[in-house]
Amino acid sequence: MTETIGIWIAAFLTLCMFSFLYKDNPFYKFAEHLFVGVSMGYYIPYTFYNAFIPYAYEPLFLKKEYILIIPFIIGILYWFRFSSKYSWVSRYPIAFGMGIVGMGVPMGMHANVLVQMRTMMLPLNNINIILIFFGTISILLYFFFSKAHKGVYGKFTSIGIWFMMVGFGASFGYTVMARISLLIGRIQFLLGDWLGLIK
Amino acid sequence: MKFADRIQKVDRRIIYGILALAVILPLVFRLGLKTYTTTPVEDLYRHIDAAAGKDDMAIIMDFTHDPGVLPELYPMDLAILRHCFQRNIKVFTISFLPQGAAIIQLALSEVKEDYPNIEANVDYCNFGFKPWSLKLPIMLGMGDDIAEAVETNSEGLKLENLPIMQNMKNYDNIQVVVEISGSSMGQFWVTYARAKFGVDVAVGLTAVMAADVYPFLQTGQFVGSLGGLKGAAEYEQLVDIFAMNNTEFSKKNARNMAWVEAQYKELPELAKLYKYNKARIGMDAQAIVHVLIILFIILGNIGYFLDQRAQKKKFVK
Repeated sequence: MTETIGIWIAAFLTLCMFSFLYKDNPFYKFAEHLFVGVSMGYYIPYTFYNAFIPYAYEPLFLKKEYILIIPFIIGILYWFRFSSKYSWVSRYPIAFGMGIVGMGVPMGMHANVLVQMRTMMLPLNNINIILIFFGTISILLYFFFSKAHKGVYGKFTSIGIWFMMVGFGASFGYTVMARISLLIGRIQFLLGDWLGLIK
Repeated sequence: MKFADRIQKVDRRIIYGILALAVILPLVFRLGLKTYTTTPVEDLYRHIDAAAGKDDMAIIMDFTHDPGVLPELYPMDLAILRHCFQRNIKVFTISFLPQGAAIIQLALSEVKEDYPNIEANVDYCNFGFKPWSLKLPIMLGMGDDIAEAVETNSEGLKLENLPIMQNMKNYDNIQVVVEISGSSMGQFWVTYARAKFGVDVAVGLTAVMAADVYPFLQTGQFVGSLGGLKGAAEYEQLVDIFAMNNTEFSKKNARNMAWVEAQYKELPELAKLYKYNKARIGMDAQAIVHVLIILFIILGNIGYFLDQRAQKKKFVK
């Protein structure tokens, strides 16, 4: 019974959302606002009970791990964002956050730059590697603006534009597929779970 | 109104209506279009399957996604879990998003009802939700000791006391980490877990993100990937034709459509359940809509060029 009620509510809200395709209306607005409220309503208590209680409250107050007072205080400093006079205090926890980003720089350099470069330095012995080689060089030169894009150099850099266009085309095709998949998901729900037309 | 003007000024609601029909009709009247598997999906299947029947190897499934992307990612969740339960592969599930924890429960319970012999904390272990801020300590900590880094499972039980952890220590016991998300979370696993500990990483992504992973597939930083609904459909098929028939993976067979068709005829009833075919059924509608969109683009361009020519003629006169 509970499941049936849930399916009917979900179907009603899905149709409310779809009604926007005709034009903006109060049903769409109701469903949109409800979605924002429910998301936050779910997120806040879930995080409180599954993050704050087990990782802050219990170790500090029940297990007496007093070393946690330091990160606890640093975390509390975030709340100074709400004070116009003392909002500068919140920059200290942000600085710690930036420190963590810094920790990722060497590993990020390795994963995103060095390993990528290494595959560019392979022998040009198959068509894929040759295409990748010319694509990378021509695109990099296209973004080199200290030399006018004229003559042979200009023609070579224009190959880079073609490579980029192919990349944008692939991304656009995938984006269409993603959006249609979401529509298919909702229609499968309406026809299957709600109306029982597909099983 | 001329033809060129008419096709340039079609009411968007008519287009939405045609699009809705193009989705609804193939879902109700199934077309059963063929699914052709691709290398990134086959590679992921092969990697996961390599852990079959091993007590000291497991895979990690990271469900860092929310309900908004379920139509694309949930069929992947089910297909990978079904593969693991069918082939006796140990699974650890984790999510760094609160919403992901509920999706893990849903996926596990849905697949587990078809595998009554599969036991929690013996054949699989749900680590549950871990706060986003702990993802780095956990990712790095698992390189030394999984039980110490994760501490407890979703029920609050200490990992070190669970039977599944008896032969599991660190990433040496992890066959592959499969990140299923609609974000760049897979990059974190590559940057921290793969770069430092060399663990294999693969991704299941929404189609929007799929094009971005190809550079990482080429370098081998991702050992496989599932791109959107198409990737999920391919994985469903591989599970059906190999895992469900307890056959070893073979790339040659996977691409031999006559062999694939023959495997489909011998499938057990379990594999025919709607929930395990959802992505392939969805791909029927996807194919029709893609043809429709191509037609729309061609018609729009014809209208544009006819309009340009008419305006040029008018200008010459």
